[in-house]
Parts: sequence; structure tokens; C-alpha cells
Amino acid sequence: MEESVEKTTRKKHPWFWSSALASIILRLVLIIYFPNTLNFSSRPEVSTPVTSLRRLAEGYWLKRSSMSPYAGSMYHGSPLLLSILGPLTIDRDEGQSHLLCGLAFVIADFVTAILIRAIGQRLQGADIQSLKSLGAGRHLKISENFPTGDIASLVYLWNPLTIITCLGYSTSPIENLMIVLSLYGACKRLVPLAAFGWVMASHLSLYPVILIIPLVLLIGSGLDTPPRKLFLQEKHGDGYKKTKTGSLHLINFSWRRVVLFFLWSSAWALYVLVLCGISLKDYSGLGEMFKRTYGFILSVEDLSPNIGVLYFFAEVFDFFRDFFLIVFHINILFMVLPLAIRLHHRPCFLAFVYIAISSILKSYPSVGDSALYLGLLGLFVNALADMQFSFFLFSGYLGTLLLSPVMHNLWIWRGTGNANFYFATAMAYACFQIILVVESVSSMLNHDRALKQGTTDVAKKVCQSLKDEPGLPTPRKFSLPK
Amino acid sequence: MTSTPETEAQKPKHRPIIRIGIFIIAHSFIVSVVCCTAGVLALLLLPVLAKKTYVSENALMPGSAIPMISEQDVSGANKFINELTSLKLKSQRTGIEIPRLIALHMANLGGEVSYHKFQNQPNKFHPLHFFTSTELEANHVNQTCESYATNTVGIIRAPRGDGKEAIVLVTPYNPVNFSQNEALSLGIAYSVFSLLNQVTWLAKDIIWLAADSRYGQYNSVAAWLKDYHTPSFGGFGKLHGVGCHNGNDVPESNLDMIIETEVSDTLRRAGTMAAALVIKVAKTGEAGDQDALNIYAEASNGQMPNLDLINVVSYLAVHGQGLRVQVDKLVSFLDSKWLKFIGGVLETVGNIARTLNPQWKFGIPVKEYVEGSATLVSSLYNQALGVPTGSHGAFRDYQVDAITIEISPKLFSTSKGRQTELLFRGGRLVEGVIRSVNNLLEKFHQSFFLYLLTSSNKFVSVGVYMIAFLLLVAPLPVLAASLFSDANKSNLESEKNKPFKSWRWLYPTKTVFLVHLWGAIVSLLPYFIYQIPDSQPTSRLLIWASLSLFILIVLGSFFRVRSTQWALLKSVTVSAAFIGLCLMSVINFATAEIGALLLVPMCLMIKPWRVAGKFQSALNLVLVIIGFPGATFFVVKSAFGFQNESSLVEFWYWVESLWAWNSATYIYICMVHLPCWVLCIYILLHQC
Repeated sequence: MEESVEKTTRKKHPWFWSSALASIILRLVLIIYFPNTLNFSSRPEVSTPVTSLRRLAEGYWLKRSSMSPYAGSMYHGSPLLLSILGPLTIDRDEGQSHLLCGLAFVIADFVTAILIRAIGQRLQGADIQSLKSLGAGRHLKISENFPTGDIASLVYLWNPLTIITCLGYSTSPIENLMIVLSLYGACKRLVPLAAFGWVMASHLSLYPVILIIPLVLLIGSGLDTPPRKLFLQEKHGDGYKKTKTGSLHLINFSWRRVVLFFLWSSAWALYVLVLCGISLKDYSGLGEMFKRTYGFILSVEDLSPNIGVLYFFAEVFDFFRDFFLIVFHINILFMVLPLAIRLHHRPCFLAFVYIAISSILKSYPSVGDSALYLGLLGLFVNALADMQFSFFLFSGYLGTLLLSPVMHNLWIWRGTGNANFYFATAMAYACFQIILVVESVSSMLNHDRALKQGTTDVAKKVCQSLKDEPGLPTPRKFSLPK
Repeated sequence: MTSTPETEAQKPKHRPIIRIGIFIIAHSFIVSVVCCTAGVLALLLLPVLAKKTYVSENALMPGSAIPMISEQDVSGANKFINELTSLKLKSQRTGIEIPRLIALHMANLGGEVSYHKFQNQPNKFHPLHFFTSTELEANHVNQTCESYATNTVGIIRAPRGDGKEAIVLVTPYNPVNFSQNEALSLGIAYSVFSLLNQVTWLAKDIIWLAADSRYGQYNSVAAWLKDYHTPSFGGFGKLHGVGCHNGNDVPESNLDMIIETEVSDTLRRAGTMAAALVIKVAKTGEAGDQDALNIYAEASNGQMPNLDLINVVSYLAVHGQGLRVQVDKLVSFLDSKWLKFIGGVLETVGNIARTLNPQWKFGIPVKEYVEGSATLVSSLYNQALGVPTGSHGAFRDYQVDAITIEISPKLFSTSKGRQTELLFRGGRLVEGVIRSVNNLLEKFHQSFFLYLLTSSNKFVSVGVYMIAFLLLVAPLPVLAASLFSDANKSNLESEKNKPFKSWRWLYPTKTVFLVHLWGAIVSLLPYFIYQIPDSQPTSRLLIWASLSLFILIVLGSFFRVRSTQWALLKSVTVSAAFIGLCLMSVINFATAEIGALLLVPMCLMIKPWRVAGKFQSALNLVLVIIGFPGATFFVVKSAFGFQNESSLVEFWYWVESLWAWNSATYIYICMVHLPCWVLCIYILLHQC
């Protein structure tokens, strides 16, 4: 089934590969011919204290001169990255300092895009299958029109934010790769791969820890489907015939796999910790690593400007600091459970929502995080066809992202502005991100409602959905079938 | 249609903010008209709304000390001026002798003296200059020693300071064509320098830069500032000047023998600069009965120095020295009838308001209004151009507040008494300003950085002038939203079977993106045109225009711009214009304001000629013609008479000056204004 889908999409869209290649060539050209003119690595929007490659090079230099790489609060990443990327950062030639790292990031981007495409194809396959089993024929046609995998991976590759991140020498492409790897592993039900991706992603940037819920759901109960109630309803429903095995299979939650996943993840985690311990053996222990990486992320020590809302701590009184630290971090955890309950039947979408929320509220966000969730958004393009405010959001993202460097310039270089100017754009950016999350979730829920209605009365659903006016900026309310 | 009652029943369920939004969008036409009119009115009201300036930083305390400049300082300055003029008469090689003479006098007064040699840096167009670091300037090919110019720098170390801060005095002079007024400005600086060497209250170092302005006043100061702020390893002078020093050596003169030991070629530094004053004396005399003081403040990209600096100077000039302070104004505005008419209307309105309630102090006399608007327009124009109005502009790039003060005596005469009086006045003024700045504990930060001047003691702050701009651009998003929802509604009826109706904007967005990409390419083209050797400005301009057109056609055909609904296309265009204008208003307000005046009516009115009526089409055509940057240039020039001759060459030089000064206005014109203009034409000719 998946094979055939893949073949048809490849036949239909030969432009995918040429377009992907073009984006890779664009990156290579920019890296090779403008190594120093496009100074993205110094932009606070691109490289954060956690992801900056300059800091990594510094850490590597410290390590080579037999000091702890965490000395002097310069480096805050993983010791494994230090061992892998560190040798690539050494200046070989004048002016071509980070060429090899750049190539590594280009490859990471490309692999991420390919994985996203594979996820998309699997998702679409599952979607078509479940829609078929529900008998929503109209929707099937619609879904076939848009190969979500291709769209998502091209959105990821051609997103200016991804390109800027890739050129900006920050390690976020690697982090993104690990996150997508875990999702891919979970979608394919390759438990070891999923566990590896999850452990590495959490090790690198901590926040992907919350992805455990969608991953477990994916591994346990399979890919995104319409709400399970529909299938149950279907069984007792108006004489629709379909294979019983299919519906039973969907409802099953495979605990064996989940246990396996946990075993594998603990094994991987142990392995990673041992490796870290070995690489830090001569300088400092794992305790310092935890303090300097996760502790640094959680306690928001570095208040250099960034596009996140946690820049707020620059302006907060010291005795409120702990309180607000807890508030901000709890904020992410608060949303985890309700969303998991509401969207448990769509684990991939749940993962997207988690990634988006954590990239809004994380302590050192960069545009690389936004690039990832915008790419993943492309996976649900069929379900989100009726999303509202899409143009408004697009303009908002564009405006704030252009305004941010201008405000930074006004504050730092011209001296006519102040920190609040920059902080204001960060808040506006966060607002747009929140609207994006809210709108995508509500339109996904609407999609589910529409499906529900569609199964009870296909004709009515089609009529209803087309009558609806997207120009009116309000979520649709469908009267529930009695 | 069966579900219409249902949707209507749902309408009251909207959140209030969305209901307000829907209401505004539904009445977009009225909102547009009201907002635009209000925006223009607010702009006309700005001279009335201007507030009196006040010294905001208490530490400045201008005029609290008695000027200490003495007869001795001034007579020394007189002697110095005489020597300079006699040197000019005597020797042909003044270009080399004058710096030495200045250095000798600086050293005699007790300052640390050093030369700063620099090369003329030709204004080159760096296409990526706006986005990237400036350090990557290409190394210049070896030029001959003749092309070196020499700044003379004297530094007084503050007896009470820690050497971390400095105040800069700049006196530009042209050694090749030395004139009397330049000698006078050097004399003023000399008298101040001579005084400051003796005083005990100095807490900041004083740097006197006698800038060799044979390659332009701005360039000399900019070169010095660049070297001052670049860390040098192993002596900067050796890097540049060592090969040429011997070549410059004329047969050793007496002067050389004396100062050789004291003057160094390595760049001497003092602390970070707190403020800088560029002192000039005007060539032509002032017609009035008072000596006048002109203040120039605009730096690159419409940046202004802190208002406190201007306040201190104008306070001291008016109250201390009895000078008439004036800011640059557009003379042709002074006797325009319609401005007088508006002023009259405003005055009567103010009078009526005062009869109703004496508390309302609204309205100003007609003459004041007209003068205020002439100054405001000039201030807007200078800021919008993004080209600094003098060598003070170079300081702003290093976050140093600087202004040029140009003293224009009422009748220029070389009589001894008049000259002494002028030296006294200028010296006291500069001394007072230095004394005030000397009091500062931090850099200027109390007062405004973003303001427009309507006279030397009246200003409009950012909070007020932003209202005019925001009112002007507010209709754009409203119109975009209303067009967007209308287009989607009409879609609903025509194309029922297609999904993704809320993503239909992607096609027009592609078109708009392509046109903006074209704008970016157009802005980079001059870089390549400059590679063509020996071409005339006119031919360059024509090459530019034809290449742009060619690329536009190629882009259009290559990407097969799909003809979409004009309403959606207009909606996206308007949104793009809105984002561009808002961005520009942060970078350079004046450009955005003038751009909005041109762009907003065009964007609001434009409609395909098949849809619009005859009258509207004609109006659209006029707006589109005026909206083209070149046409605007000629219209404005002929209307206000900036210059008399009008030709393509002049336009080319104007554009050239924009990118030579790295003006953001150039980027705005190419990447916001021009694409929007093209899109408007596309909409106008749309086949629907």
C-alpha cells in the first residue's frame, strides 16, 4: 500500500527531487561563496547560547588544552557533540573556518527532510486506509491530491528559517534531525530507532523529553487516525461492511512494544551517559555536565537577547526569579496532559503541538525550532485545509521576523532604542506562534468533527463543509449528530 | 443555502474582539477614508502640536558658570589666524605647511599632538553592505603618496578625569583651498583649546581634530573615527604613512625642527567620546541685524543626536551670546499660499477654542505655522534622504552625539575688532557647551533621539509624529482583510468543489514574492553596472532600466505568473506594503512617512480598469504615474525647486548619492516601493 502511494507520488511529482536538490545547492553555494559576508551566526535569532557553534569551538579548544569544556560558562552543549563536531571546527584555512560543519548541517537538513517525507507518506497511507474503512469517499479523493510528505519536506527544506539556521552555524539542525528520527522510528514502529532518537534529542536539548507521550502512543497504537469512537460506531452502524481485523487492530494498544521502547531507551540512555562519562573523564564528572547543560537550560542563566519570552527574566526582580522560573517551566508541563487526552488518537499531530509549544516557551529558542514545527505542520496539510487566519499568520511571521533584526540594530548598534523594543518583537512572535498552535489544534478538532459527521451522513457533511465560510474568523460549530 | 439560518444564528457567538474586527472590516471604505484624512490632517497639525524644548538632563546645567575665556586666549587665536593667512599668501605648498603650523600651535599650548594620515576612500557601492559587517572592505590598491591627507589631532588630558571619556571638537578646513572662514573656525577652536589647557575643572579629555577636508569634510572625520575605533597592533601610522613620510618632506623648515620631537605619527587616543561639536563659520554673511547660528544635526539614515545636545547649544547661544539660532528650512515653503491658508484656518480655530475655554492653548500665529512647517519639511526631507548634513554624521555611526554649529556673522568683514568679537562669542559658546557636557556622568540618554524639529526650540517627539503615520497606514491591513474575506466569499459561490479555500492566497503570494525578489535584484544591479568601464550616467541609467525590465519579463514568463483573482492579489500586495512601511518606519521614520503619502493612496485606490469606473481609472493612472520613484523625483523637484535643471543625469546622481551613503531609503525604494508600484500596475491592467 505504502509502496504504491510512494510510486504514484514520485510519478506525479518528479519535481520533488529537483526542488530538494535545488535547495541543497542553494545552501552549498551560500556556504562556499559567502562564508563570511552573511554573518548569521552572530544573530541572536539564529544561534543561542546552547546551540552556537562558536561556543562549541571554544569548548573544543578548552578540551584540547586539557581543561573542562564547561569552564568559563562558554559551552553548554553535549560532550558528544563536542567529540563529533569539535574536530570539524578547527581552522584549516583562512576564511573557510566552518566549512565542514556547514556541510554536516546541510546533510542533517537533507536527512531530516527525507525522514519527514517518509513520515508523511506513512501518515497519508494510514489516513487513506482509515478513511476508506470509514467510507468517506469524498475525502479520499481530496487527500490523494496532496502528497503531504513531499509538501512537508519541501516546506522544511525551502523554509528561509531552516536555511538561515543551516547557514548560521548553530547545532539546531542536529537536534531537529534527532527529533524527526525518533518520530520516524515510532511511525515505522522501529522501537530501537525511536528510542535512540528520543534519548539523543532529550540529551541534546532537554525539551524533547515531553515527546515521550506521542512516541508511546505512536508505538502503542499506531499512526494518526480519526477518533476511535467512529470505528466503534461504525461497527454497529448502518450496515457498512469492512474487515473486522482492521478495526480491531486500530483499537489494540500494544503494551509489549511500549515496554520494549522503555527498555531500549534506558539502554540508550545508559550508553549515552557512559560515553559522556568517558569523554569527560579527565576534566570533570557527569555532575558538572548535568549542571552546565540541563541546569543552564532550566535556570535561564544567560540573559543575552533572544526571541523567546524568557527574556522576561532580564526585567524581573531577583526575589521573584525562582517563582517565575517555576511558572514558566510548569507552563509547558501543564499543557502536556490535557492535549494528550484530547489528541491521543493523533499522536503525530500531538508531537507537532508539543514541539511548537516547547519552542515558544523554551529558555533559549531560535528560529531553528520554528523551522522544525513549520515543516511538521506541512504533514497535516489535508486535515488543516480549512485553517483560518493562515494568511494573517503568514504576514505576522514575516513581519516579526523582519522586525526583529531591525529592533536589534536599533537597540545595540544605533543606541536609539532599548531592550524593550526587541522584547516587544519577541512577544509579538510568541503571540503569532500561539495563534498558530491554537488555530491548528482547533481546525484539527473541526476536521475530526467533520469526519464524525461525514460518517453519519456523508452527503450532509460535504454540503456542510462547503457551505461554511472560511472568511469569517471563527471556529466552526457543527451540531453533533444525535 | 440550507444552512444560512444556522450560520446567522451563530454570529452572535463570536468573541467581542472578533466582532469589532468584523465590524471594522465590513466598513473598510469609511475606515480608510477617515483614517487617511486623519493621517494627513495630523501631519499638517504637527507644527501646532510641537512642544518647546527643555534641557532634560539635570547634570548639564547649561550657562551656570561664567565664561572664562580671556583676552589672552583670543589674542593668541588672532595671532594664529594671522599666521595661517600669511602662510597661505606666502607659500604655494600650504597643503603641507598648514597641518604643521596647527600642530606647532597645539604643541605650544600644551596638548599632545599627533598626525593622522588617511587615504581618500572612493565611495563604492557594496551590495551586501546593509546586511553584513563593514569590516570586509576590500584593500585598496596602493595609491600614490600624493593622495594622503593629514588630520592634525591635539589632545588635552583632563586633570580631574580618568582618561576614559573625551569631548571632540572638529574644525574642518581645506588646505588646498584655504579660506578666511576656515581660519576663523580654527581660531575659535584655538582660543577654546588654549583656555582648556589651563583650567582645572576638566573631567573629560578634549580632542581637537583639525580635519583635512580636501577629500570632503565627512570622509576625513570618518577615516579618523574608523582608525580611532579600530584596535591597532604595532602602530597604525607605520601601517599607512611610513612609506610616504619621507616623500612628503620638503626641505627642512624651521617649523619641522621644533615640532619633530613632539609630534608622533602614531594615532593617539583619549577615552570614549561623550559628544562632538563640529565648528564652522559660514562663508556668506547673514542679512539680519544679529549674528546667527545654524545647527545641523541629521546623520545617516535619519538618525539624530540626543535632543539635549541641541538644547544646550541653542540655550547657550540665545541666552549667553545673543545669537539667533536657526535650523535648516525649506525657503520655497515660506511664501506658499496654501500653507498660509491652512495656518490661518488653524489660527482661527485656535482663537475660537480660546474664546470657549481660555485654558485651551491651541493654535499658533500664521507666520509661526508657516515657518514651522518649512522647517519640518526640511527636517523630514533631510532625514528621509538618509544622507548626513555634515561631518557630524560620521560620529553617529559610533553612537556619539554630534552636531555642526555654523556661525554666520551678520556682516562679514575682516576688521580686527569684528574678528575679535566673533572669536569671543564663538569661544564662549563652545566653552559653555564643553563645560555642560563635562558635567555629564553618563552618555546622553535622558532626552529624545527620535524627533523632528519645527524650529530651534520646538520639536515633535516620536509619540506624536507616529500617530500621523499610523493613521495613514492603518487602512492598509483593514483593506487587506476586507478584500481577503470578500474574495473568499465570492470563491465560495463560484468554485464550490475545491477544498483548501483558506489557502488560496498562496498563488498571489507567489506573484508578490517574485516581484519583491525582482526588486531585490534591481537594487543589486548597479553593482554590476559599475563594472562596465567608461560609461556615462545616462547610459548607465538606461542600462539599469532596461535590465530591470528584462529581468521582470524573464521572471514573469519563467515562473508563469498565474493570473489570479485581482482582489486576492491586491490584498497580498497591500499587506506586503503595510509590512514594508512599518519596518521602514522603525528604520527611518521620515522615509516611511513620505513613502506612505505616496503609496497608501495608490494601494487603496487601485482597481482593474475594467472593473473601475472611468473617473477612478483616470485617478488611478495619475497616482500610478506619480508613484514611480523617478517621476516623484521630478515632480517634487519642479514643485519645490530644489534644483533648476532637470535631466536623467541628475536622477542618476541622486540615486548614486543614496547608495554611496548606504542610505536605507535606497533599499526601501527598490524593495518596497518599486515592487508595490509594479504590482499596482499589474492590478490596473488585470484582465478579469
